[in-house]
Amino acid sequence: MDTVIRTSGLTKRYGRVHALDGLDLSVTAGQVHGFLGPNGAGKTTTIRILLGLARKTGGEASVFGGDPWRDATTLHRRIAYVPGDVSIWPNLSGGEAVDLLTRLRGARTRDPGYRAARERLEAAFQFDPRKKGRAYSKGNRQKVALIAAFAAPADLYVLDEPTSGLDPLMEVVFRDEIARVRDAGATVLLSSHILSEVELLCDRVSIIRAGRIAETGTLAELRHLTRTEVSFEAADAGALDGIPAAHDAAFADGRARFTIDSDAVASVLPLLAARGAAGLRIEPPSLEELFLRHYGDQVKDGRP
Amino acid sequence: MIPLLRQRLRRDWLQLLLWVLGAVLLAVAGYGGVSQSYGTVADRQEVLAAVMANPVILMFRGLPSGDSAGAFLAFEDLPWLAMLAALMSTFLAVRHTRGDEEAGRSELIAATPASRTLPTLATIVHGLGANLALAALTALSLIGAGMDARGSLLTGAAAGGVGVAFLGIGLVAAQVMRTSRGANSLAVWLLVAAFLLRGIGNMAGTPSDDLTRIDSAWPAWLSPFGWAEQVRPFDADAPWPALLALAVGLALAAAATALQSARDLGAGFVPERRGRAAATAALSSPHALVWRLSRGAILGWAIGGVLTGVLATTLSALAGQVAGENPAVAQVLEKIARAGDLDEAMITVFFTMLGILAACAAVQTVVRARQEEAHGTAEPVLATAVGRVRWFSDYAVVATVAVLLVVGAGMGAAYAGLAADDAADGLYRAVTVAGLGQLAAACVFTAITALVFVVLPRATLAAGWALIGIASILGMFGPLFGMPEWATDISPIAVTPVVAQGEVDLRGLWWLVLAIAVAGAGSIALMRRRELAGDG
Repeated sequence: MDTVIRTSGLTKRYGRVHALDGLDLSVTAGQVHGFLGPNGAGKTTTIRILLGLARKTGGEASVFGGDPWRDATTLHRRIAYVPGDVSIWPNLSGGEAVDLLTRLRGARTRDPGYRAARERLEAAFQFDPRKKGRAYSKGNRQKVALIAAFAAPADLYVLDEPTSGLDPLMEVVFRDEIARVRDAGATVLLSSHILSEVELLCDRVSIIRAGRIAETGTLAELRHLTRTEVSFEAADAGALDGIPAAHDAAFADGRARFTIDSDAVASVLPLLAARGAAGLRIEPPSLEELFLRHYGDQVKDGRP
Repeated sequence: MIPLLRQRLRRDWLQLLLWVLGAVLLAVAGYGGVSQSYGTVADRQEVLAAVMANPVILMFRGLPSGDSAGAFLAFEDLPWLAMLAALMSTFLAVRHTRGDEEAGRSELIAATPASRTLPTLATIVHGLGANLALAALTALSLIGAGMDARGSLLTGAAAGGVGVAFLGIGLVAAQVMRTSRGANSLAVWLLVAAFLLRGIGNMAGTPSDDLTRIDSAWPAWLSPFGWAEQVRPFDADAPWPALLALAVGLALAAAATALQSARDLGAGFVPERRGRAAATAALSSPHALVWRLSRGAILGWAIGGVLTGVLATTLSALAGQVAGENPAVAQVLEKIARAGDLDEAMITVFFTMLGILAACAAVQTVVRARQEEAHGTAEPVLATAVGRVRWFSDYAVVATVAVLLVVGAGMGAAYAGLAADDAADGLYRAVTVAGLGQLAAACVFTAITALVFVVLPRATLAAGWALIGIASILGMFGPLFGMPEWATDISPIAVTPVVAQGEVDLRGLWWLVLAIAVAGAGSIALMRRRELAGDG
């Protein structure tokens, strides 16, 4: 498969701060790629380099095989971008801003396909295009960028925390749009710190931490890396004796719990059956847990 | 109130200090200029007599109130001192009321147990304090220079009174308009109108028999600047007109407070119009966007250009009628213009102002590029198929168009004035040369501000306006304050080609062209390597 975005050893320094410290990211065509990390990990810096808004300090970065800094203009004809914190012009109406941004991308706004798409999106996002920019709330400014991005087709969608101002209903609309452009064959790089969003939408996930990719893979592959949690009702901690594969065994509030490597789940089921475990719960790891694992040391240090 | 004021002073102290120092500097420089250039009573009488004969000068000077050194200083300096106080106060008023409201800071304060009018009340106290400081330090610097104490104090009070009046005007403008940009424009237009009204009132006034005083006509009484001049420091020393300005300012401030409690946070009294649902076909390129964002401001400057152009030639003709009787008039104008013939000198003076207006229009447009970048609206544009250099040069192009429009409007109006007066052919050439020369000067400001934007983005706004301020002071007032020629020649507006005694004098044209070429080419070359520099 074609690689749409590739970086290797990408670094970016702002003065003494190493915003990116050898980032290796690879996104193949047709993928919805989750780019996951806490605030300040370097997600936005990476995106700005990929869009040619910032210049890399070292390493390699390519988009569609081109140099994102040198070939910015030609590359941008194929890219739709939604920034995390959308600003729009205070004295332009939302509709004007959508049309302007679409035209600057090189798309034709007279095209009936565009007109229909814009109308559909405005209805779906419940967006009033005639208000002046300064009158829009954060969520509505975000809708301007989203409508401008989705109304005309693109090969690559770069979305930097695109739903941070949207209410849950609008998030559903957003997910439908992602599904639609993926079915049309486009590639999506979706940066987020909302785990449920990435879990729902993404084929692959790269976890960024302190300017480096800490982990990358499909959700299934990453699940493999963490343990399944098992819990059941029990009278005391004695119920946990004799389960050899169990880690982190604990008893609290009338429930015994332990974690287990995901491929060993089947092996403990007979043992649980023998104990007649009631209220049994076996939960696959959520991305929350993946996250905690990668940032767990920070949590222990008491830092955010 | 106290914590709020303390926080504002932390934010504001440097800016306020610069305004106050500017006023002190103006007072001291004025004192130096008067004692150096107009040291004797005879010198001063000569100038005042010339002014009576050619009242056009009264647009740029104060109210003649006798031939003493002090009264002459007030005549030279007081309108400008008052102008500084007025500008400081309107910007202060808008910045801390509508500006904070737009940025969402007022919402945080309104959510505390503090009253909704607290920000407005704090701004009133803040503005009164700033004007008190300006008045006191101006007075002290004059006393320090050896001037009479009562006159010095009243000079300060007159300037401070105008400041308070415009504090009130700024506060009301901030209530009426929905954006700080709108409120600032409204207040500055009112300021310019008040300044002109005062000049017209003085021009239409009645001179005394000894030709050293004027009793102003009624239009001067409609303007806070007029009230300040009626104090006549070092002459009549009447405090009550300054008190009138103070009272009007406080009344307007009270009105603004009442308006504040009558409306919703974030709302204005001028309703927001609904926009278009879709963009017009014209709004489809980066330069169309720049034009759309800048056109209102540019048209405002162009209207200023028309006014300046009309005055340049119609007043010039008027001045020509009296020049024969009053060689002293010509002498004063020559001093400003360093040129020969009176009509030509008038054109040079007014076209210097036209050049400043054009430079303002251009610098404002280049500064907008920085505002777009800091505000975050440059990013979505640069993420489309618009390159960095293209994006940046579109601001430079629109800035140049702004210069052409403002200077063009002024030249057109000046030609029309000449045609109406059946003027000599030579003057058409003077207008053409002065206009094209100021075109070059204004482009120097465009190119240098653009270079600052590329190299030191965060300094763009301050550098752009400071350049214009310094160049205006050097170019317009340098000769009057007795500054050395090399100092005034630093100012681009002072070295443009002029027509003097029928001859075209190119003066520093090639330096201007060189500066434009170097700064322009440098900024475009460096922009290739520059990344987007966001946040404040």
